[in-house]
Amino acid sequence: MARIYQVPSHTRLWLALAVLLCSIPQLVKGPLWQAGLLVLVILIRWLVEQQRLTLPGRMVRSLLLIGAVALTFYSFGRLYGPEAGVALLVSLFALKYLEVVQQRDAYVVIVLGYFVCGTALLFSQTPGMFLYVVLCMTVLTSCLVGINHSDTRASGFLHGKRALVITLQSIPLMMVLFLLVPRVAPLWNMQVGGDKARTGMSDSMSPGQISELSESAELAFRVDFQGDVPPRAQRYWRGLTLSHYDGRTWQQAVPKGQLESEYLYRRGTEKPDWYRKLESRRSYEQERYLYEVIAEPSQRRWLFSLAVPFPLDGDMALAKDMRLVANQPVSQRLAYRVESVPAINEVIGLTPQERQLMLSLPQNAGKKARGLAHQWRKESSSARDISQRALRYFRDQPFHYTLRPPRLTADPVDDFLFRTRRGFCEHYASSFTFLMRAAGVPARVVVGYQGGEQNDMGTHFLVRQYDAHAWSEIWLEGEGWTRVDPTGAVAPDRIELGLREALENSEDGRDLLADLGLRRFSDGGLFAKVSQWIDYVDFRWQTWVLGYDRAFQSDFLESLLGAVTPARIAIALIIAVAILMGFYAFFLLWQTGNEKLTLMEREYWRLHQRASERGRPLVAGLTPMQLCQAISEQWPQAAVAAENWAKYYQKLHYDPLSPPDKQQKRHLRSLRNRLYKLLD
Amino acid sequence: MQALDKALAQVGRVVLGKEEQLKLALTCMLANGHLLIEDLPGMGKTTLAHALARVFKLEYRRVQFTSDMLPADILGVSVFDPNTQQFSLREGPVFTQLLLADEINRATPKTQSALLEAMEERQVTLDGVTRPLPQPFFVVATQNPVDQAGTFVLPESQLDRFLMRISLGYPAPEVELQLLAGGDLREQVRELQAVINSEGLIKLSRVVGKVRASHELLDYVQRLLDATRSDDRFVAGLSPRAGLGLLKAARAWALVSGRDYVLPEDVQAVWPSVAEHRLSARQGGSVAAITQSLLQSVPVIRR
Amino acid sequence: MQLPAPIRNLYERWLARRLPPARQIVLDQRRIFIFPTGYGFFYLLVAALLFIGGINYENNLILALSFLLASLFMVAILHTFRNLSALGIRNGGSESGFAGEEGALEIVLFAQRREHHCVWLRWRGQDDQQISIRRGEEESLWLNLPLAKRGRVMAPRLKVESRFPLGLLRTWSYVSLDHYCLAWPRPEESLDCPADGGKENQQAFSSGQSGNDEFQGLRSYIPGDSLRRVDWKGYARGRGLNTKQFEEPVGGRLWLRWDRLQGLGEEQRLSVLSYWILQLDPQRQPYGLKLPGLTLAPDTGDVHRWRLLDALASYPDF
Repeated sequence: MARIYQVPSHTRLWLALAVLLCSIPQLVKGPLWQAGLLVLVILIRWLVEQQRLTLPGRMVRSLLLIGAVALTFYSFGRLYGPEAGVALLVSLFALKYLEVVQQRDAYVVIVLGYFVCGTALLFSQTPGMFLYVVLCMTVLTSCLVGINHSDTRASGFLHGKRALVITLQSIPLMMVLFLLVPRVAPLWNMQVGGDKARTGMSDSMSPGQISELSESAELAFRVDFQGDVPPRAQRYWRGLTLSHYDGRTWQQAVPKGQLESEYLYRRGTEKPDWYRKLESRRSYEQERYLYEVIAEPSQRRWLFSLAVPFPLDGDMALAKDMRLVANQPVSQRLAYRVESVPAINEVIGLTPQERQLMLSLPQNAGKKARGLAHQWRKESSSARDISQRALRYFRDQPFHYTLRPPRLTADPVDDFLFRTRRGFCEHYASSFTFLMRAAGVPARVVVGYQGGEQNDMGTHFLVRQYDAHAWSEIWLEGEGWTRVDPTGAVAPDRIELGLREALENSEDGRDLLADLGLRRFSDGGLFAKVSQWIDYVDFRWQTWVLGYDRAFQSDFLESLLGAVTPARIAIALIIAVAILMGFYAFFLLWQTGNEKLTLMEREYWRLHQRASERGRPLVAGLTPMQLCQAISEQWPQAAVAAENWAKYYQKLHYDPLSPPDKQQKRHLRSLRNRLYKLLD
Repeated sequence: MQALDKALAQVGRVVLGKEEQLKLALTCMLANGHLLIEDLPGMGKTTLAHALARVFKLEYRRVQFTSDMLPADILGVSVFDPNTQQFSLREGPVFTQLLLADEINRATPKTQSALLEAMEERQVTLDGVTRPLPQPFFVVATQNPVDQAGTFVLPESQLDRFLMRISLGYPAPEVELQLLAGGDLREQVRELQAVINSEGLIKLSRVVGKVRASHELLDYVQRLLDATRSDDRFVAGLSPRAGLGLLKAARAWALVSGRDYVLPEDVQAVWPSVAEHRLSARQGGSVAAITQSLLQSVPVIRR
Repeated sequence: MQLPAPIRNLYERWLARRLPPARQIVLDQRRIFIFPTGYGFFYLLVAALLFIGGINYENNLILALSFLLASLFMVAILHTFRNLSALGIRNGGSESGFAGEEGALEIVLFAQRREHHCVWLRWRGQDDQQISIRRGEEESLWLNLPLAKRGRVMAPRLKVESRFPLGLLRTWSYVSLDHYCLAWPRPEESLDCPADGGKENQQAFSSGQSGNDEFQGLRSYIPGDSLRRVDWKGYARGRGLNTKQFEEPVGGRLWLRWDRLQGLGEEQRLSVLSYWILQLDPQRQPYGLKLPGLTLAPDTGDVHRWRLLDALASYPDF
């Protein structure tokens, strides 16, 4: 049976384009066969429209459908779940497009297109993706215009233009709705696996791991300080504390038998002792920093913050080792606000179990180091003194700070301390902590990031992977956990200026920088400027668009409306929408379609109108002279002026030999003005 | 232009108190159009036609139409001469400069259409021989609007051949008094002085074509035409030919009024006599009233 | 979708009050109605689903997408409305027909201020017709109209509808045009021709002879004479070219007369006259019509026939 294609020819291209554009985000990340399927479908449609092929029948379409389902199962191992579901949706979208015969089918394809656009936003939420989706929407709208335009004069170009106009007019309305429509809590919980973790910190530390990170300029997180910004040397972004050492690798550990509720405080649960102490001290301190962190997806639960952080948003917990732990792994960009109060770490105590853990060392590692540590212990009066000696040791002995340390052999501690003496922060942090424990001072390794560069716009700080750092903390009686950074003893530049500067100041570092192709952001010319701007847009997108959640919205509405009540929101919404719609209505409906009147024509109608307003109404069919007579009848005193005007007017308007020039028009206007004064 | 004023004055001596109609008749002649006078008998139709002929020194003939008249009686006869074995043409009364076709509605449609065809084409074809009519050539036809018995009212399509239709109507009382006091009208007509000869008239009608009409004026004429077409009180609107006639008549009127460019007043002046006889109203309407109302409602200046 | 009768009557009366008939109408907001189409509701459902999705995934961009869909819908209200607003509609011509058959009315649409795309016109029980009008132009459509009985059949209420540009909304207006179609009386066969001139005429028609006049004699041929009247037989016999002369019957022409149909009902009289107009028309004999209050002079041709039939249709209010 011959099937008749009823979608008008001027819209077919739009429909094909819509299907293609909407599918691309999925095709790029999905399995290859999907692209193949779409190409096949578009090819068939093209041949059908060239009338070289009849539309495939039910049989073929069913086979294609079964094939698509089977391939989806083959590629994803299931048919449900976000990835597989979206892949299936995109395949159905293409297959529905294949069987478009009537206007109704085209409607279905367009609606599916909206959903496909929506799913693209599930997996990527960059400004670019959103712009792309708006573009897809415009193309889908062009299709809508096309299938509703069954006119012989219709043209595809005009559909696009009309759709663009409508879309552009909708965007301000969309923004109003976005800002004002109240965000409701999720009806049921859903999570989508987001971007796969890229480079990032792992939950353990062994030699070489952090130096690998240093070779990446990828963003780890952004920080936006409100108010004071701590100096660079104080910006230690704590991520993890590592307490267990097996001779090579440092790992997270908690004392045996400790419950989660004892060392993790989650809002709403019972406050542990240490938290209560922290809280009571919190309000006395002057030095405090308020900031927002926007973390890139890491697939890890730990979050980065300055020492002694207090989370201001939910969904995360404070651990006893003064760091934040998210409730779920960070699979999408996550923004959280924190208040850090640095000087109150002393109130956190050390239980005997913890002390035991913080002193534990592997049995047969670092024999020489232990000897050194014992010697320092004997010669020192306090724990602080021991740590000073250790730092002096690093400073005095020929230690080098380098990104490419030599390999360490069997006993990494002794090998580094006494043989190679070339290393990166993790080497120094690890061996310092080892020495401290061996000398009987409770110590642990902290990994995180140090420093961060400010954006050129001066708005926020960027912390990149190469800012990754490791340092130590030692327990001092009366002072609590105290940060000691042995790297600073070897390479003070690393702390004061950052890794880039530190490397540039050293000889091998400069070569290394060139090797790695890492350039400081601010070094470059135009390219750097542009990338700074892109970063800025991305940052604002993150904070203002993606971060516009319930809390943000209620703050915003409160500042806008005074109080957040449903009535006020509704009124604001109605007023804003009404203003915009009224504005559009004015331009769409009140534009005069008449060709513009010439100056001469306006002259006449002005006088006509004035005379009609002041005297009896006049008919439209009056010649200038008749108008003058009508005026003379009603205003005898104006008779002469009226006749002057009319004679001059008819000569100018009706004698083609004397088309009016500027001066004559001006004269005519002055005649009319003279006449005006006489009409009252 | 003085000649035109003089001509008007001359004719005005015998057709009393009808300046407007005289001016229209003169306009019609200048515009090279034929005139239809619709009036009761004895209103001075014949006097008017005759006087016009005198004033412009035109060859003048009058034909009284009757129902037994044949086309040949108007156009002429091609007579077969058995001696020469050839047809020879005997010209009919139509071969003149000003033909007064009296009571044209009494003739059969066939005779009517023979005359109307000659009017339109300004030539007569008999047996394949085409003979041009003299220059200038005007027909003044009269029609009796009341007595319909045994008449063939001219169909609308034929009325289009007449540029204008006027009616003289009864004279005003004081004019009638003057008329009664005056002598024999026929005598007076014969005494009229020629003002221009026929060549002069031809020249004048060429001048009509040079009267300037601005774009704005043409726009107005177009709006008027359009108004008749979009007004459903009429059976049909004015034809483009009627539009050209309207413009030409307006030009001639402007010339008679002593101007070398057309004003909307000129269009309005000739409008009823040009438009009315070409339009017919649907049931019950008065064409005159509707055409007049259009002048009121159609804007003179575009808006 | 039929409403119960009382409600429909109320609705009809309300519409009649709100939209009085006129010869020319320019659609304005008072006359234009607007409502989503089925697809429009479907579209809103999609927007709602995306909204729920955005809420559940806490995905602001999906929320934004659903707001964009909603905004498109709102903007589409204005665009759809605009497509019908300021559209002018007026009477055009009218094509009469016999009662029981169909006539047609011409509807002229004019666009003064903007172009109007894909406007559908129809009256109840008839098919849609689509038309687009460019700015400053006029377009016309002929819509068929069933003619139930003789007389003036007023134009039913016209529905003007459009879904342009997005098909999400339907905007429509009812237009009552003061426009009518004449329904001619249905011809009713009758043996007696109600005409002056009597039986010989009637026989002449029925015998199919050309010409109905009494033969009077011959005269010599004058150019311009109808060649049908030339005495060709005589010419062949060498008597020269002569023209047959006929005498016209009394009165010269035929008059169909209302008052010759005494004893019949009004409608029946009209039907008989209608029948005879159709019978006389092909004869090329001028015929006239006399009705009470109207006399139409004899003539021939299509226009004449229509004029006579129209007169019969509009009887007695001409």
